[in-house]
Amino acid sequence: MRCGAVFNVRLLQFPYSGPSSNSSVDGPWRIGPTPSTFAMSARRPTDHGAAGDTLSSDTQTATMTSTPMATPLNPATTAQTSTLKEPPPEKLSDIRRRIWVIGSFWLIVLLLGLPIWWKTTTIHRANLPLKEMLDWADGKACRPVFPLRISIQANSLQEHEAQNLLRLTQHALDDLNDFSGHHLRLQLFSPAAAQKQNGEPDTALTIRLLPGETVTATLDPYEPVLDITYPPNAAPSATSASSSLATYVAGQLRSTFAEEQAIISYLLSSNSIPTDYRPRGLTPEAAESLAKRTTRSLKYAPTYHLTFSLFTSGPLPSSWDIEAAIQDYMKPVLDLLSPIHNFTIDTQVQLYASPGVQNQVLSKDDLSSFINAAEWPLSPSIGGAPTVNFIVFVGNQTIALSSQNAQDSTEGGLTTSQSWLIPQWGTVYLLSLPRDTAHVSVDALKQPLLTFTSHLLSLTGTPNSGSLPLRLSTLSRIRSADLLLRASSTLGSLARLALALKSISIPSSVADGVTKTIYHLRRACETLGEAEGLEHARIAEAEAERAFFEKSMVGQLYFPDEHKVAVYLPLLGPVAVPLVMGMLNELKAWRKRRREAAEKGKEKKTE
Amino acid sequence: MKLSSILRLPALLGAMLLGTAAVVEAEHTSNWAVLVCTSRFWFNYRHLANVLSIYRTVKRLGIPDSQIILMLPDDMACNPRNAFPGTVYSNADRAVDLYGDNIEVDYRGYEVTVENFIRLLTDRVGDEMPRSKRLLTDDRSNILVYMTGHGGNEFLKFQDAEEIGAFDLADAFEQMWEKKRYHEILFMIDTCQANTMYSKLYSPNIIATGSSELDQSSYSHHADNDIGVAVIDRYTYYNLEFLENEVRDTSSKKTVGDLFDSYTYEKIHSNAGVRYDLFPGGAEAARSRLVTDFFGNVQNVEVDGHKNTTLEEDMLALSKTIAALRKKADEEEAISVGKEDTTTTEATKETQNGTLLTHKSQFAKPLTDDNWLVKKLSALGAVVGCAVLWQMGSWLESGQK
Repeated sequence: MRCGAVFNVRLLQFPYSGPSSNSSVDGPWRIGPTPSTFAMSARRPTDHGAAGDTLSSDTQTATMTSTPMATPLNPATTAQTSTLKEPPPEKLSDIRRRIWVIGSFWLIVLLLGLPIWWKTTTIHRANLPLKEMLDWADGKACRPVFPLRISIQANSLQEHEAQNLLRLTQHALDDLNDFSGHHLRLQLFSPAAAQKQNGEPDTALTIRLLPGETVTATLDPYEPVLDITYPPNAAPSATSASSSLATYVAGQLRSTFAEEQAIISYLLSSNSIPTDYRPRGLTPEAAESLAKRTTRSLKYAPTYHLTFSLFTSGPLPSSWDIEAAIQDYMKPVLDLLSPIHNFTIDTQVQLYASPGVQNQVLSKDDLSSFINAAEWPLSPSIGGAPTVNFIVFVGNQTIALSSQNAQDSTEGGLTTSQSWLIPQWGTVYLLSLPRDTAHVSVDALKQPLLTFTSHLLSLTGTPNSGSLPLRLSTLSRIRSADLLLRASSTLGSLARLALALKSISIPSSVADGVTKTIYHLRRACETLGEAEGLEHARIAEAEAERAFFEKSMVGQLYFPDEHKVAVYLPLLGPVAVPLVMGMLNELKAWRKRRREAAEKGKEKKTE
Repeated sequence: MKLSSILRLPALLGAMLLGTAAVVEAEHTSNWAVLVCTSRFWFNYRHLANVLSIYRTVKRLGIPDSQIILMLPDDMACNPRNAFPGTVYSNADRAVDLYGDNIEVDYRGYEVTVENFIRLLTDRVGDEMPRSKRLLTDDRSNILVYMTGHGGNEFLKFQDAEEIGAFDLADAFEQMWEKKRYHEILFMIDTCQANTMYSKLYSPNIIATGSSELDQSSYSHHADNDIGVAVIDRYTYYNLEFLENEVRDTSSKKTVGDLFDSYTYEKIHSNAGVRYDLFPGGAEAARSRLVTDFFGNVQNVEVDGHKNTTLEEDMLALSKTIAALRKKADEEEAISVGKEDTTTTEATKETQNGTLLTHKSQFAKPLTDDNWLVKKLSALGAVVGCAVLWQMGSWLESGQK
């Protein structure tokens, strides 16, 4: 009622302050502005006088609104109200009931409202092992070590002679090695052990020592075997302290694994592995070529999607024997890569496709705009796998090599090229065919597909040197290290985000993912260099990615304080005003009663 | 070596400070563009035209559609008020139809929301999101982020319903940086008080530019009397003018600095702003970046020399043999294992067959993995509770009578 009265007064004041009262206004404004505001000002003092008494003030405002015209004319009313009879004192039970009413409102607010508000507005943040996650990211939790077992098979040597050679070679190796993460450990080849571990790639390399005329070393193309021949006098005796053969073997081993070492150390150095753990002596040229390699190779994915496209500027050729060609020229390599990656394949033929550059001879600068991105349908695959594009463009355009390259190839008499590789994307091959060829045969596709195959190997990050089996086993080790580092750095990113963005919610699935990641990372770190290590690293990386990219960890994180006020005030203001005022009034009344009671007590005492 | 290490020092320091380890001096391998219009309705025709003309430009300079994320909240081409149905023009001469044959809108209509935009940047999307609608960038990707719409001090309004704050944008970029989702970003924004939008950014490797200062409006350039509304904003218009005249193809050597220098108050009627301090190397390094590093798709291709074909053939023959050997070894292993426990394998095979058979007749599965039963039970509980409350109320009423 009191609230209503205040509201009325405001409405009445409003037209008065306006420039001119509009006669067409509806509602309480029709009452007539001027007299009523006079009434207000006339009444102010009495209002104050009766502030403690709710009932009387209500009646006053009621009279004021109902008889606005009468009030200003009769100043006697002010005197009249002050002499109004006091209402009868409230009954004790009424006071108590009112206290109960107000108290129960407050109880509801405090016991029901506050907890609900708290519950619905808090951000759920699951506990993350932040310390551990940051340790992983900083490389403190795991020192990536690749113990490579190399067995020496020396059937022509005596047992103790072989032992001595092994010891010497190991010494020579340890002297040469400046990178503790990549450790070559030699062991003697024993047929029993080989039998037991049949099929397991436990030994990275076998060295076959064969007696021969000169010292030579050749990598077996089919198996991870290094054949070393030596003249009979080169074999060290059981007691000699040094041997040229041992040094030679050590040197050969080192050069065989040099690229792998360089790549892994580059990986470690580009991640935040402590500096003392990095290898020294990486020349700028080597670093540059390694950087180029990382630029070229695709991010690891368990599956790649290969798209083979035939583009032609005219109506012909309109078909190609791509399936047979893939089967013949690419499938073997895909099979070899199958322990590391899966592949899905699709093909397409596009007629009347014009390239971005029409020149007969293409320079290197033209090549990046050759692909007509706006019109050629090279959109990525629908599935989740990243796409590698292989394009055969039928046309008689050629690529002019730059002068430096041309000088190199003058001996071969060729200054043109047919294909180029686009880092992390794929390959384009310019195939020139007779004008009226309608069907591209397997033979015509042989050269393009061989190029694609070798490019696929470099796109997946396979190292360039060494025999194929060695290159593949190296690839799996590099990928495990890569995945391990990536998962660790993702954990670090997540931890730093959780620390930096206080208002982001962290659902429990993220914590689960982090736990799984750390478990698999630990396992991967223990089994680095083995097939199992790659598997664990792969799971760890997938889990870490899933945890980081958790779908529900999004939304608007930042709310300015003005927004909060703007939301809460209209909602809570009208509720809070009577609640707080009621409580304050009641407190006042209670204190008044106490004072009166105390005075009464004093009076009684004095009596 | 010394020089390169010195050059690398600030980058390394930055990386160490942030705890990340991007090799900053490395080149980029892909270009992406995120082009966002945030306003709908006919009278905002110019905002859609802004975005579409930037879209046309980046496509002209070679960024494929799969690497352009285009967000258009409205379809001006098919608006009933459009006097030229099916077209959108950004100039009164109507020379270029921006809505030509080849346009791929990734987020349209009510999909253009703040949440979707932040999800796009941070890649926090569900499995159902197709790859074409995701920003699949990595630490070798340069990104052009262009936004236009109606904004104010530190916010940009999305579709009259919500707004993105400068803090949210900064946090989204920071999350991208943390996850190594970009190499460098050029952030452009054309809206009123645009410069306030990038003022809160704090992640490295970002060049930011905006059309107007705090308390300044961004103005439209001109109106087309037949279309009946303004067709382009001044800031975007002069950006386009530069890009069309100076950057004709990807071989252009114009730098970002040249582009920024072309902004004048006389042309834009507001003070365009630029922010370099987030970029390692500061203004100098940022200004020396090529325009095509962000607007074009320049790939550092590797041309093959004339290769020895026999080498490749050898490799092929090798892999064939190795594959055959492996297969043989696997088979032998399978046989040796199989001998030991033939019975168990047969048993498992049978069970596998059995499960296969039972699995064949799968009935429809709910798409979400929430607990179906719990949901149903709670819904039932709510209904029963309401009924009980109602009954109680009526009982109390009757009791009072």
